[in-house]
This record gives sequence, structure tokens and C-alpha cells, in this order.
Amino acid sequence: MDIGILRRDGRTDPFFDGTASGRLMIRRCASCGHWSAPDQGTCAECGEEGLDWAEARGDATLVSWTVVHGRPAEDGTVPPPAILALVELAEGPWLHTRLDGVAPGELREDLPLRAHYEHRGEGETALLFRP
Amino acid sequence: MGEGTGAAIVGLGMTELGKVYGRSPRSFAAEAVRLAVADAGLTLGDLDGLLVSHGLGGSPGIELAATLGLRDLRLLSLVNSFGATAGAMVSYAAMSILSGAASTVACVFADAPLKPKQSAGSAYDRGPEAAPGQAQWYGYGGMTAALGFRSVNTFYALAAQRHMARYGTTTEQLGAVAVSTRAWASRNPRAQMRKPITLDDHRSSRWVAEPLRLLDCCLVSNGAIAVVLTGSDRARDLARPPVHVWGWGQGHPGHRRERGSGFGLTTGAATSGPIAMKMAGVTVDDISQAQLYDCYTYTVVVTLEDYGFCAKGEGGAFAASGALGPGGALPTNTGGGQLSAYYMWGMTPLSEAVIQGRGDGGERQADRNDVILVSGNGGILDHHSTLILSPHPKEV
Repeated sequence: MDIGILRRDGRTDPFFDGTASGRLMIRRCASCGHWSAPDQGTCAECGEEGLDWAEARGDATLVSWTVVHGRPAEDGTVPPPAILALVELAEGPWLHTRLDGVAPGELREDLPLRAHYEHRGEGETALLFRP
Repeated sequence: MGEGTGAAIVGLGMTELGKVYGRSPRSFAAEAVRLAVADAGLTLGDLDGLLVSHGLGGSPGIELAATLGLRDLRLLSLVNSFGATAGAMVSYAAMSILSGAASTVACVFADAPLKPKQSAGSAYDRGPEAAPGQAQWYGYGGMTAALGFRSVNTFYALAAQRHMARYGTTTEQLGAVAVSTRAWASRNPRAQMRKPITLDDHRSSRWVAEPLRLLDCCLVSNGAIAVVLTGSDRARDLARPPVHVWGWGQGHPGHRRERGSGFGLTTGAATSGPIAMKMAGVTVDDISQAQLYDCYTYTVVVTLEDYGFCAKGEGGAFAASGALGPGGALPTNTGGGQLSAYYMWGMTPLSEAVIQGRGDGGERQADRNDVILVSGNGGILDHHSTLILSPHPKEV
């Protein structure tokens, strides 16, 4: 998987602290306990702006997916297709992610998935999901 | 609402559309407004209102008023509901006219995302231009882009796939929308893509992002379109047949990205449509033709359902029945839409509605034009607008 180099941005660093140690860190409202995606700044449930970072279980189900085919390179080689997905964490939030270790023919609504962490030589560790 | 108290579209201006390079959105917009005013038999000095749409390739901005030399305006604003903006602008213009805040208002959209030697598909993409593997991405959002979410196509693909998985919508049904829309485009001299296509052509077109193939996706165009509105009483005496505004509505569902979301399954049309139709005093059975925002074939399918032209989940079967094409029960996107004619956001369906409402459709004029529904759709199905238009003044 050649996706480039992931860097921190100062706003979502705890997420990458999590992926580095195999944990899925997302946001949780200090006021009402509602869970949100890592890039949420405000609680959609109660409007609270102080969202804590909290560890999610790492369990998810498949909401939808798309198989993306890369354009052939100049030498004619075709990059392998990528399965991009919308997954629903057990805690409720939806994440846009990529699936690994599954064939397009196996995809269906509600397919159970687990968080999977992939680290390349340089930069931060990426979060993907696998069956 | 009597004839003296309604609002009507009296002018339509369209620049050259498509691969037209070397001009700014403001230049295109100024030309479209001039064309629309002249079309109405008016002069720029007759305008006392100007509404300018947001655009991703750079909006003309409200500075357009100065470019056109407009003076003593009583209404001037930049409007942004993304793809729902055209319908929103027409409704704000109509409200301004009905309230007396302004009398004659131009609404314009312009965009110039296409550059020479650049693929249409990449015109709206985000992300670094560096070679794969070399690009650097920042933060959680950067990771999402790095994993492959760099084009609006991928988000619409997720929406379409969810609809297909939930309701059994098929590739062939999406293809039926592409085929019927192209059949209309083949009769429109302004359409960018006029060569008729078959379901086989659709099935053999390359994947953009499964389940969307190339022929499921709209074009990208440079250019501008403007309309001019004024009161229905004044409209009668102008150069072209007025197209009266009977009703309008908006719907912004605010689907959250979390459990229970209707993303991909329902759109703001379910809210917007009933509001507009009630205001117009019509039901879905009264609609003669539909001019729908067709950024993707799937968008047409889900929009038809949400307006109630068919039951939820049956939009694909409705399209495959032949209802949308020439001779069908619900002529839809009779100019070739965004899929085959030109992509001017919500001005694509609106401009065709004006052409049809005037009876100017030529080879593609639909049999009936008494009640025309126009939709706009923005974001990833986040924003929706509806207009109900008619060549007839609205009865009191």
C-alpha cells in the first residue's frame, strides 16, 4: 500500500499516539458521553466543545464501500484496486477508511470488521479495517 | 397569488459552455448577465438586484456588480448552498420581488474549474500533486485523503453503493438514467455529449469508483448561466414568454456521520419537495416534467424517490421502465442534464426548465410543460432545493 507519508497536524495527535500503539483513539463528549469521530471538534448531540480523547474498542461494521481502480502507469502497470469504506464503530461514529484483507466479492452491509494498523518506514501509522 | 403579485423568470443568458479556456468566472458571469438582460428585452440599468452564486473554481463575487457598472442596487449578495444554490437564488429573488424589496433581479452562476491539458475528473480533486509514495499528508483528515478519499466521486460512490445494497438498485438501472439522458442530449445543440449510447456502452465504460462508471458521472464545464426575474405583471410585456415561479423549498437533512444516518438512502428532496409543491398548489401527479440535478445517475434515482414519483427503493426500476426518456411518462433532464449536456451546478436543470417552459426546446420539447419541477443538490446530498415553474401565471 503506497499512500505517502502521514504527518501530525497538532490537532489530532492523540489519534496517532493511538495508532502507534495499536489503539483506536476517538472523541468522547465530557458532558454527555456521546462518541464522535477523531476529526470532530464539537459534540453533535449536545453542542459541547470540550471533547475528550477516549479509546474505542476497535470493532466496526461495514456501512458502504467503493472499489477504486487506479489509472495505469506510463509503463502500463495497473495499480491494485483499493477498497474504500464507510464503517460504523461499535460506539456509533462513522469513519471513512480503507479495507485490507478482504475481496470485493465478500463485501456486504454489516460485515464485522476490526481496526488494523499499518506502519511504513517513515511517518505515522495508518488506521485501516479488516474482517 | 394573482398575476400581479407573482414572480417570473423573464431572461436567460448562457455563455459558451464546456472546454472554454482563458476566461475568469467573473468574465463569464458578466457575459451571462448581459445576455440574460438582453434576452428579457431589458437593459442593465433595469436591474436593481443581483445574486451571485458561490463556485468552487472561484466565484465571480459581488464585485461583479461593479464589473457590470450596476448602480443603486437594492439587493446584492453572494449565495452558497453548493449545488442547491440556483434554486435558492431564484427563491430569494422571488421573495424580494414579492415583498417589494427589489423589482428586477439577476441570478448568476459561473465557474471555470477546467484547465487545458487537465482531465475533467481531476478538476475538483484535492490533494498534493506529488508522485504516489512521496506525498505528505497532515492529521487525521490527511490520512483519510491519503487512503484514497480525494475526489467527490468516492463519496458519491459510497452513497450509491449503500442505496444498491439496501434496495437492490442495479448497475443496469443506473445505466438506464445515463441512456435516457443521452437520448435527450442528442437533440440538444448545446449539449457537450450528443452521440447516443446504449446500456452496453454504459456497462463497458471504465470504473471511476465502483459502483460508478464513467457514464454515471457528470461532465465538468467552464462557463456561466444567468436568469433575470421580475414581477409577473411586468413580465407579460417583456420580450420572451415568462416562466412563472409557483413554489420553492429547501431541505438540509444534516445527516450525521454516525449510527442511524440516512446517508445515501434519503436526501433533502423529501423535505424540499413537499414544501415547494404545497406552495405551488400541486401534487407530484401534476408534475409534467422534471429537471433534476444529475451529478451522478444515482442522484436522479434517489431524488425521484424522495419527491414521491415512485416508492422509496424503486427509483432504479422507475428509471429502467423508460419513464424518463423521450416519450416517457415523466420527461426528465430533457436537455441532457449534467451527465451529457453541461455542468453548471443548479443552473443546468434551471436553464432547461426555462427553455422548456417557453416552449423553446425544439426537437427535444416535451409534450407537456404546464408544471416543471427543478431540483438542486449540494455537497454529498447535504443540501437540496426545489422550484416549481410554469408557463402559466399561478391561479389565485
